[in-house]
Formats: sequence, structure tokens, C-alpha cells
Amino acid sequence: MISRNLTNRYVIAKIFHGFCFTVAWSGVLILGILLFHVTQEGIQWLDLQFLSDFPSRFPAKAGIHSALIGTLWLISLTALFSVPIGIGAGLYLEEFTKKNRISQFVDLNISNLAGVPSIVYGMLGLVIFVRWFELNQSVLAGSLTMSLLILPVIIISTREALRAVPNTIRQAAFALGATRWQTVYAHVLPAAFPGILTGIILALSRAIGETAPLIMIGALTYVAFVPDGPMDDFTALPIQIFNWASRPQQQFHELAAAGILVLLFVLLLMNSIAVIIRHRLEKKS
Amino acid sequence: MNANQLANVLSKKNKKLEEKIVLKAQNLNISYGNELAVKDVSIDIPENSITAIIGPSGCGKSTLLRSFNRMNDFILGAGLQGKVLYRGIDLYGKDVDPVEVRRKIGMVFQKPNPFPKSIFDNVAWGPLINGYPKKEIYKLVEKSLQAAALWGEVKDRLKSSAMALSGGQQQRLCIARALAMDPEIILMDEPCSALDPVSTAHIEDLMFELKKDYTLVIVTHNMQQASRVSNFTAFFESGNLVEFGETQNIFTLPKNKRTEDYVSGRFG
Repeated sequence: MISRNLTNRYVIAKIFHGFCFTVAWSGVLILGILLFHVTQEGIQWLDLQFLSDFPSRFPAKAGIHSALIGTLWLISLTALFSVPIGIGAGLYLEEFTKKNRISQFVDLNISNLAGVPSIVYGMLGLVIFVRWFELNQSVLAGSLTMSLLILPVIIISTREALRAVPNTIRQAAFALGATRWQTVYAHVLPAAFPGILTGIILALSRAIGETAPLIMIGALTYVAFVPDGPMDDFTALPIQIFNWASRPQQQFHELAAAGILVLLFVLLLMNSIAVIIRHRLEKKS
Repeated sequence: MNANQLANVLSKKNKKLEEKIVLKAQNLNISYGNELAVKDVSIDIPENSITAIIGPSGCGKSTLLRSFNRMNDFILGAGLQGKVLYRGIDLYGKDVDPVEVRRKIGMVFQKPNPFPKSIFDNVAWGPLINGYPKKEIYKLVEKSLQAAALWGEVKDRLKSSAMALSGGQQQRLCIARALAMDPEIILMDEPCSALDPVSTAHIEDLMFELKKDYTLVIVTHNMQQASRVSNFTAFFESGNLVEFGETQNIFTLPKNKRTEDYVSGRFG
């Protein structure tokens, strides 16, 4: 009786297997096509000179130096602001506060904030950081805005990583007369760290690619210098790419493609570092 | 030594023990939300003895055990009325710090739960965070591992991960970790339920040893284990303490019909 349907069940399993295979590899395929297209167009411009030259009206002289350094400034400062605050908030909500109406309300709001379009954060940054705090179009204003944008993502992923730590570890620590902070610091945080790190890298990767909020707060599109400090004007890779791509000349389009390659490389580098650190940590425990 | 003599020796010893009550529950009620898990329980735990708590699943025995070192504090919606007295001090009194309570009353859990750290760090961490001098920690770790009958097996690899140990070794490590805090009472919540018979025998031998210096309260599903290791047995059913007395009596001459049915395996 039961075995009569077996062939049928195998067919269904195979169909589903094929469906999952297609879905998984189509993502890789699309990325491959994109990479191929961009590389084909931009690889000829990609050399040391491209990395060290400032933007120019003449494609042959144009480089990405200020944008690359600007992006590094932006992302470093953003990490500096958002990582401690994000982890702290996640820790508080997950480990320290009791579950009640207020914490549920905060929960809901953080989830909603994660879905707010980035341009809205740009407007917020423009009003608060650029105007009120009079930070102007500085890299500081940009990174504060970016921090707001990615904070919900960091908080949510931190909480998920903390939730994945088995409760038995907390109980073991508490049973030894540890305070909550001692428990969290010595056992919960280290166990959750790989997960938290992944969340941070994903969030920062998002920040690196964001253009809208930077345009909103008035980051410049033509910058022939690199920022010396957090109060200096700046530009960033996506803005430079956008600027080049919107020009009519074909050569600038190729420059944009080369810029995309640089941006992708920075992203890949960040992700690889995160993977390596994760791997090390997981091996250690 | 025949059974009678043994009973005699035990009861003599127990009489002496009964004079010193270290832990006492008075009219204890513990609830989760609207559900009463422990109902009006009063029980005296004598010093330097092993008290076994037995009963069918969900009878509230683990709940009661966890209330003895305030581990119930972490369960959402758990409420408690009545008193738990440790040497006369109400553990749920206003000026009692639960962290302080857990330093004196240790706990070993059902599933071995070593920290994902080295064997050494597993034992050393508790005393260190409680201010034990760093210089003397190595000696304490050795002493605790020896007391838990694990030293011989791990002394050459103290720096390797505790996760690489077998289940039985991990559980003994958890016992060593509890001992390092120099507690007065050790609570064990089904400490052998995840272990094979050989490891179980190890732990039971260990309990006999520990009884000399500590007071043990164990929750167990294993009737043979209760009769083998414990001096006193408490039988619980749906939150009520049905019968409490010397293990010998509970298993051979139970006063209550329910107890008799349970220990003879007629239900549960």
C-alpha cells in the first residue's frame, strides 16, 4: 500500500531538487554576467594611475583616488559609530531588558527602521547633521547618516546571533555565581561574535554601496583632494560612478565600469576578511 | 554485611544527620503563569547527605530543585510563595543577592554544558570572577578535578577544549567546575540521564565521595540510582510532596500507596 506511491514521491522530490538548483545557480549566473559585462568594459582603464589620479574632465587623466579614499574614510567612521552602538543596543535588548510592552514596542520600531528607504535617512541626515549640527557636507555628516541607516541592521543581526547562543551556557555561568555582565562578556559574546561579525560586514557592505543618502546630504561629485579630517568635504565611490555614468561620452561609461570593479573589489576584500576571522574564531572554540 | 546491618548503620548515621538541616523549604508554592508547579511543599534537607527527588515527568521536581539556588529567576513568569531557608536565611528575602546564593549552592545540569573553552578555563573561570587569587588558581583547578575524579584523564591536556571530552567526562568537568566554587550544597538535575551506564557508575561513585564534604540534592528518573546513592528520598506527584523519608523506607516500606506503586514500577 505505502510503497505504491514511492516512484511518484521520488518524482516530486526530483522536481523540487531541480527547482532549488535552478534558483540557487541563477543568482550566481546573474552575478557572473554582470561581472563579465563590467570587466569587459572597464578592465582597460584599471591600472595604478586610475587609482592614484583625481577626477578630470579628460577621461584619459581621470582617476578614482579621491572617491576611493573618501569611501574608506566614510566606511571607517561609519563602523566606528555604528558598531559599538549597534552591538550595545542588541545586547541590551536581548540580554539585559525584560520582555514587556516597551521592549516589544522598541523591537517593532527597529524592524520598521530596517525597512525605511535610504533616501529618507538622507533627508534626516541633511536636517540633523548638516543643518542643525552644522557639519556641512563633511565626511563626518556622511558617516553619521550612514550609521543611522545601518544601525537597525546591525542591531537585528546582533540579536539573532545572541539568540543562537544556547541557553545552557548562560545557565552554567549563572550557576557559578556570575553576574549577567560576567556571563555575557565571558561566554555569550564570544560565542555570538562570528554571527555578529557577519551582520556588521553585511551592514557595512550595504553602506559602501549606498548613493542616495550621500547625494541627499550634498556630498560633492567633483573632488580633487582627499579628506584630511572628518570635517572635510568628500566624495565616495558610488557617487563618482554615478557621475561618470551620467555623462554622454562612452569613455566615461568605461571609467564607471572600472569604478564598479574597484567598488566590488573593496566589497569582496571586506567579506573575505570577515570570513577568515570567522573561520579562525570557530576553529578556536 | 547483610541488609539488616546495612539498614542499621544507615539509620544510625541518618539520625545523626537529621540534627543538622542545611536547607529547608517551608510551604513553598511555585507557579508558571497560572499553573501551580510546586504545591505547598515543606521539606528538610540534612547536611552531608544525598537527597533524591523522584517522580513522574512534569511533577515539579526540577522546578523545586532550581528554586533552591534561584535559577528559576531566569524563567519568564515564574512566581514563588513560601520560604526557602538556607541555614536559616530566607533565600528569597529582600536583601539576598541571588548571585551570592549561587556561589554557595552550586548546580550540575541534565545535559553536560561545559563552556566552549579549555578544560582549565572551565574550572578556573568561576573562582576567578569571584575574586579567587590568580596565583593559587592552578592548585584549585587540580584539587577540583581530582575531587571530581577527572584529574588523571585530563592532566596532560588541560589547555585543550572541553568540547573534545566524552559526555561522561564533560559531566564530571561540570561537577569539578561546581566544586571549584567551594559550595556547601550541590544540586544535580538528572546528572546521568544523558550518559551511558559506565559514565553513570563513575558519577555515582563520585557522589558517594562528595557526600563527605557536601550536601547533594539530585533529581533523577532512575529509580535504581535513587535507591543506590541517596540517603533520603522525596517522591513527588503533580506538584505535591507525597512522601519523604529515608531511602531505605521509601523503597521497602512506603507509607503511601502512590509511592509504592511508583517505586515498584506499576506506573510512571
